Amino acid sequence: MSTDPAAGLVSFEGAAVPVRDEMRAAHAGFWERLAGPGSWWTGAERVAIAAETRAARDCALCAERREALSPNAVQGEHDRPAAAPSRLPAAAVEAVHRITTDATRLGESFVSGLAAEGVDDGRYVELLGIVVAVTSTDFVCRGLGAPLHPLPAPVAGEPSGYRPAEARPGDAFVPMIPSSAIGPNERDLWQGTTGNVIRAMSLVPDAVRDLKLLSAAHYLPTAQVVDATCRRTLSRPQTELVAGRVSALNECFY
Amino acid sequence: MLLRVSSEIEGAPADVRAIREDAAAAGSGVPHAAELLAFAEAVLGDDDAVLDVARKDLLEAVGSEAFVDAAGVVGNFQRMVRIADGTGIPLDAPMKVMSESLRKEIGVGEFASAANTQPLGAVGRRIAKALAPLTAPIFRLVGGRYGGRAD
Repeated sequence: MSTDPAAGLVSFEGAAVPVRDEMRAAHAGFWERLAGPGSWWTGAERVAIAAETRAARDCALCAERREALSPNAVQGEHDRPAAAPSRLPAAAVEAVHRITTDATRLGESFVSGLAAEGVDDGRYVELLGIVVAVTSTDFVCRGLGAPLHPLPAPVAGEPSGYRPAEARPGDAFVPMIPSSAIGPNERDLWQGTTGNVIRAMSLVPDAVRDLKLLSAAHYLPTAQVVDATCRRTLSRPQTELVAGRVSALNECFY
Repeated sequence: MLLRVSSEIEGAPADVRAIREDAAAAGSGVPHAAELLAFAEAVLGDDDAVLDVARKDLLEAVGSEAFVDAAGVVGNFQRMVRIADGTGIPLDAPMKVMSESLRKEIGVGEFASAANTQPLGAVGRRIAKALAPLTAPIFRLVGGRYGGRAD
């Protein structure tokens, strides 16, 4: 039996059907990491980012901005979580809301502009990793008919400040580790070459590790995605039809 | 792209327009496409009553294990799209060439995040056109390099 307190928060109680152990373990694993300090944010800040992600989905300002020709055309205050364990910088709040509700219109100037307000590229990528992981787990719960997992209590500690030496600016908004130049500390992220979407968050390697953990449980292990014969119980065409529709609803080109 | 390739491998090429068009879903060739798409839409929507119905319909159509798969895929791609758009990554070069005709077919070039990928030049378009009939086998060859092998 697990002694990890995060495991107790991940129950899937109320789900329409039994949930496979692999998915339960992946959610609990991420929840445990969410609570602790990361590379650039403390545990309290990480959990606050998670709370902000949930609040953003019902934010009236974000809804109004989505209908506007430009998100910058609408000013106002975001709807915030009722409770959060830490106060986030305004730029972090803005980033969480934009990623959550209007990611397709994010641009390089927005991301680079965050640095002057206390959210540099490392903090941004870690924040992004939390937002997307919480979004992913929450929507799985919603699909299954299970309540969202309660957010964990933060674990004290200081961020590591770790930045992979191999990361460098390229053709994305943030530096990434080149596909064929991965360093010794990141050998577990991929071998050989990999796609941009796996490298995207490599400025914060633990964000890629979370991606791999959750992807393997929700979809397929990242190494198997390009093998179009790999599948779970759903056929691969059925799987990709759902994936394509979700991507289209989000207006994602990639 | 993976919808097209995987359905071709299974011997029943799917109508990829089903990704964006419900009208194409019924004749897409993908079993239970309507229930799968209704479920995906409902999970992303905000009407819990609609989701209850979609959940029940999908569960009856595909069974509990595949239903969990579908919920996982919805959650997974709620993540992947935000990673791509949040970091502004462009399409990988081989995928950009191989998916040229597909992207036009489903009209994703109109999305704002298309700006993160430079359009193919004249030579690239000619290569893409020549390779189009070979998409599935090429994808299988090239794809193995792009997944990494860390798992």
